[in-house]
Amino acid sequence: MKIPLNQEEQQVLDEVRRFFAQEITPELLEESHHLEYIYGGEEGRKFVQKFAPKGWLTPCWPKEYGGLETSEMLMYAIRNEMAYHRVPIHFAGAHMAGPSILRYGTEEMKKEYLPRLATGEIEFALGYSEPAAGSDLMALEMHAADKGDHFLVNGQKTFNTHAHVADYHWLAVRTNLEGPKHKGISILIVDLKNTPGITVRPMITMAGTRTNEVFYDNVKVPRRNLVGEVNSGFKYIMAALDFERMFPWGHYKKYFEEILAYTKTATRNGKPLAKDPLIRQKLAEHATELEVIHHLYFNLAHLLDNGKIPNYQASMEKNFLSEFEQRLSNTAMEILGPMGQLKTGSKHAVLEGFPEWLYRWTIIETIYGGSAEIQRNIMAQRGLGLPRA
Amino acid sequence: MSYELGVEQKMLKESARDFFSKEMNSALIRELEEDEKGYSPKIWKKMAKIGWMGLNVPEEYDGAAATFADLAAILEEMGHAGYAGPFFSTVVLGSSLLLKGGSEAQKEALLPKLAQGNHLLTLAYAGQAEPIAAADLPLQATAKEDGYVLNGVSLFVPFAHVADTIICAARIGSSAEEVSLFLVPKGTAGVAVQELQTMAADKQCEVVFDQVRLSRENLLGTAGSGWPVLQAVLREAAVAKCAEMVGGARKVLKLTVDYAKKREQFGRPIGSFQAIQHHCADMLTYLDTSALITHATCVQLAAGIPCDKQVSMCKSWVSEANRRLVGLGHQVMGGFGFMEEADLQIYYRRAKAAEQAYGDVARHREIVAAELGL
Ligand SMILES: Cc1cc2nc3c(=O)[nH]c(=O)nc-3n(C[C@H](O)[C@H](O)[C@H](O)COP(=O)(O)OP(=O)(O)OC[C@H]3O[C@@H](n4cnc5c(N)ncnc54)[C@H](O)[C@@H]3O)c2cc1C
Repeated sequence: MKIPLNQEEQQVLDEVRRFFAQEITPELLEESHHLEYIYGGEEGRKFVQKFAPKGWLTPCWPKEYGGLETSEMLMYAIRNEMAYHRVPIHFAGAHMAGPSILRYGTEEMKKEYLPRLATGEIEFALGYSEPAAGSDLMALEMHAADKGDHFLVNGQKTFNTHAHVADYHWLAVRTNLEGPKHKGISILIVDLKNTPGITVRPMITMAGTRTNEVFYDNVKVPRRNLVGEVNSGFKYIMAALDFERMFPWGHYKKYFEEILAYTKTATRNGKPLAKDPLIRQKLAEHATELEVIHHLYFNLAHLLDNGKIPNYQASMEKNFLSEFEQRLSNTAMEILGPMGQLKTGSKHAVLEGFPEWLYRWTIIETIYGGSAEIQRNIMAQRGLGLPRA
Repeated sequence: MSYELGVEQKMLKESARDFFSKEMNSALIRELEEDEKGYSPKIWKKMAKIGWMGLNVPEEYDGAAATFADLAAILEEMGHAGYAGPFFSTVVLGSSLLLKGGSEAQKEALLPKLAQGNHLLTLAYAGQAEPIAAADLPLQATAKEDGYVLNGVSLFVPFAHVADTIICAARIGSSAEEVSLFLVPKGTAGVAVQELQTMAADKQCEVVFDQVRLSRENLLGTAGSGWPVLQAVLREAAVAKCAEMVGGARKVLKLTVDYAKKREQFGRPIGSFQAIQHHCADMLTYLDTSALITHATCVQLAAGIPCDKQVSMCKSWVSEANRRLVGLGHQVMGGFGFMEEADLQIYYRRAKAAEQAYGDVARHREIVAAELGL
């Protein structure tokens, strides 16, 4: 199904596609995969900084901050194209913190960060989760004491994924110990590379990827790094999370195509896999689910382009996609049989070892960025007006 | 393509919703399920007066020349309201067959009457299963000097018992080029119509053809041209069913959420229980995804873009999603939803009938698989 773009925007997308066809190197793909598609690695930075100055990373931003003032639709289309090509796709800066700065930041802050985010020069790490604050983000405890011209920050974060490659921390801290929990949270921007007192330690996942725990020990953060109003951070987090939840899905379209191509060439017990009725039904089902995801995803852009802010719809897209990824990964393992367990680099590995990796990786997709249960709460309460417990 | 309905579709939809909220109600739905005709001629006349029968008929035959997407907007409201009657058979099947396959003279003779609501049509093509190839068509035609003789039993023919003309697909041999469509007027000798007793009480009929003699004038269009016309109409019918299902699903979600907000257990509304909320969230997902894919497919059909794969994705997804949605509705409504007096049970039965109409989930997935090159 075609993406609804105007002619000019379609030309930009075509140009992006041509660029990707020419510029993607094996080294980039290897690093990108190794970093589970987050931005910030060396190869990724080289690649992105070649095209981001054209405005392609943030096309819907105002021109003065490095955008092209196009529709969100184009931005969604390009992001999905990036996912399809398996280049870095998770930009905590350009696509999560950036839109929040655009909306809530001071002019000075916008000028300081947005142009550099748009060109890919800098990357952020999202600093929300803590040992005692996962789904219940309001419970976060990292303390930032107000010292007038600066905040003094102490405490611990967990699962801060980009922290080892990023330049800045988009840090949620507690600035008010009294009153309702959600009214005591603020957002600070912290220079991760040049600030004393910060320790970043790796946490390795079952997919072999890295996330981090981050410790703050009497860290001084200048007051001008406060985003928006003090104690209003929860609102900004919620907005940024809505942006985070608009998940591109091209990666899984590509994977589906690879599985499809495999079944057309491989045989089992002398018969082509593509003729197995169970496999035909399953793949047709997944093709249909991908079509549904296409509409869920681009409808979000449509809502934004029409001045609406998606809320329950973003949750719906996130859930539908992430649950689909798990179904698709399982189907691939079923189709491949024992070959599916072979890892990248192993003798006999099929589809470059992706199947077993995705089978491990997709487990987290229904948990991070707000778990599937939390998304269903949002759909029921925001979407259908059902009462809170 | 935009994700928004066009201005005209919005207006059509609103007026249809208005119309049905005045004309249809739970008691009437039940009454019509028991009724011999299975529809209300009074409502039919009013619908004709608004011009809905001629919606997809070109202006030269007194129609409104609307698009398929406009038609779908009304069908969605019919599904929502639980409308029952020969609209689908006459308009989605009948007039589309005439338009795609009929000769100029046939169009001139039938379409104006149809557009005014004075001529009911239907289509007989299936036997005990949805025909996949021409050889599966249950009706056999034998060519004679002065015309044809038809034999066979067609099943699940909607509203055949009241149709003024049954259009049937019959085959002379077993290849697609040997399929013709025939116009069979009411009262033709050798045609026997009998209503089947179905789960959705939706007036699907058996039509028996016993040595039915038809002249060449009864051919819709030309001999041997029937298969592609039939396929094109069945594709539209599949998507039209999806539009009905989307309407039904919307209604079921509303019934369910309203109930979950009112019904109290353990001293609070059941809608505040998370298990219930998650069922409702899943229902919302089934509804929104069905509406999105149906809208996109309607737009493609309306634009005349070839879209076989898209149609089959749409029909398989919406059928499955709608069935799951109604099932969850039952779970939320507990014992009350199981009662005859709860409207939910009407939608439960109709969801299954819609799922099976014009190709079930497995059938459409098989089409998608073939389109994927498997
Ligand atoms: C690989 C990875 C990368 C991550 N990246 C980042 C990052 O960059 N920055 C960052 O800040 N965080 C990040 N996270 C953290 C992530 O957002 C959290 O893991 C997630 O929000 C869930 O929190 P939790 O793991 O503490 O699980 P919990 O909150 O303890 O949840 C456990 C279970 O309880 C359920 N549950 C909890 N509350 C409710 C409720 N109200 N209703 C119903 N069920 C409920 C959950 O759905 C889940 O099933 C990352 C996590 C991982 C694993």
